Amino acid sequence: MSQELDLPPALRPEVEAARRHVSLSPEIEARVMAAVRRRAAPPQQRAWRWLTAPSLPPWSLLAAAAAALLAFVIFRPASVGSPGVASPRATAVGPESVYVRFILVAPNAREVALAGTFNGWDPATAPLSRADTAGTWTVTVALPVGQHQYAFIVDGRRWVPDPAAPAVDDGFGRKNSVVSVSAAQGRIL
Amino acid sequence: MEPTPEPSDGTVVRAVLTGDVEQYAVLVRRYKDRYARYASRMLGSVDAAEDAVQDALIRAYERLPQCRDPEKFAGWFFLILRNRCFAERRRDRRSNGLDQVGEMAASEGSHASLERKEQARSLEQALLQLTPEQREVFVLKHVEELSYDEIAARVGTGVAALKMRMHRAYDRLRELLGEPQ
Amino acid sequence: MNRRVAWVMLAMALGPELAAQGDVTARLAGRVPPPIAAAVSALADSARARGLPVAPLVDKALEGVVKGVPADRILPAVRTVLDQLDAASAALRGAGVTPAGDDAIEAGGFALAAGLTPGDIGAIARSADRSHPTAVALQVAGALAAMGVPRAQTVGLVRGAIQSGRPVGDLVSLPGQVQAAMARGAPPAAAAAGLERAATAHQAPRPHGQGKGEGNPHKP
Repeated sequence: MSQELDLPPALRPEVEAARRHVSLSPEIEARVMAAVRRRAAPPQQRAWRWLTAPSLPPWSLLAAAAAALLAFVIFRPASVGSPGVASPRATAVGPESVYVRFILVAPNAREVALAGTFNGWDPATAPLSRADTAGTWTVTVALPVGQHQYAFIVDGRRWVPDPAAPAVDDGFGRKNSVVSVSAAQGRIL
Repeated sequence: MEPTPEPSDGTVVRAVLTGDVEQYAVLVRRYKDRYARYASRMLGSVDAAEDAVQDALIRAYERLPQCRDPEKFAGWFFLILRNRCFAERRRDRRSNGLDQVGEMAASEGSHASLERKEQARSLEQALLQLTPEQREVFVLKHVEELSYDEIAARVGTGVAALKMRMHRAYDRLRELLGEPQ
Repeated sequence: MNRRVAWVMLAMALGPELAAQGDVTARLAGRVPPPIAAAVSALADSARARGLPVAPLVDKALEGVVKGVPADRILPAVRTVLDQLDAASAALRGAGVTPAGDDAIEAGGFALAAGLTPGDIGAIARSADRSHPTAVALQVAGALAAMGVPRAQTVGLVRGAIQSGRPVGDLVSLPGQVQAAMARGAPPAAAAAGLERAATAHQAPRPHGQGKGEGNPHKP
């Protein structure tokens, strides 16, 4: 039994021609990155400096899920926000951003995302990633100074408020968590 | 002087996931053209391939947390692009002179001598007449020059099934391109 | 992406407030069903006409859609936000804060959502000063109320922190301190009461014989 199927000889020249390299428009990179930035949290800078330690005391972990909210003043860019029409609610001019690290301990989760007023409630822009094997998920997001509401989404469908943060009614029968960032003091509310 | 080694795909993916979104441009540059030929042969035109690759790169960013093995970003991205190619409805081909040339080749058989460009184009048109699965095995084997084992590993189908598809693809292509049986 | 461009173009063709309307429309485009987007845009126009911030309305609409809330419950929630902003703005005006910035109005709206009354907002706004801005004071108050601190204690803590003349960092740290006490097992009211006592003792003259150093023996 023949193991290999040979290409019919008449097709060979055509196939040769079809093998020529295809190069796509270099504009693809710009278009993809523009779309990526719209989906990402407000802008991040590369040069980070960790200036202050977290100001909240450590929490004891709850059985199923617990979260800690830590704020670090990392970097003070001259301006924040991307120009043009963007879905995340970033101010184009104004105060600094504060980098805030969100943490959720959810060992049984397959995926965790963060959605809030700072990213237009778009879970796709701030997925958490596993920080260890114990079920800790984290993401660091640049938040404009001010007050924001948010929640975690576990496995794409379960909305989980941050147990360690103040909670407020979301108007839909659930609770949102609240974070306030103040650059002046580098602390959080 | 040694050039600075490029970071691995896994390193870049992890950097993006921890917030360094701009690093994703490294992956875009690396993979923009990697599967461009595959996409353009699967979809029948470079324009369609550009749309597909662009969409796939954006979707890959959205799903990056689900990339189980960041070092294997290439294969994972290929599957996203592949799904996108299979989902694409066949576009209406614009009729132009080259189409007619292609059809002439079909009716005159292999005696018509065509420019390389037209040759590729007539094959491209013919490929679009195959089922996506037949087209894919043909493209991966003869354009991308993978072995059957490599194709099987990529698309998750057994080698025997792939060979059967290839048989059918050959038959259909001979028919379309007018080779005497 | 094309749909978004189409929406922006349509918005620009329709009315004079190009940029503002376009921004609302663009934020909603592609993410919110058109009937809801249209209704929210109308509410946004109304908000803008009253000098109220518009972004919280758009946020609430986006939130509702992402959370899978049925359309007929999204608009009432957006209207509630508008009402809260309106009430906060009125309370601030009554307290002499004119013009009230968007930040202060939003913070006031949040404080109302957390359970404070317009009277509470007025009281806090009246005690705000240059080093303790209204918006920050209301954010702190809202956070405290959201954590369960009763209204009277919330207002007392916030006004106390401002009127003591201590730096604004002390005001900002109040919710964190209450959370810390709650983590040690105190219910919100007790946690807040402890802070109030500490604040009062700090202001009182030190009795003789007190140990040296900065530590306040009354602090939890």
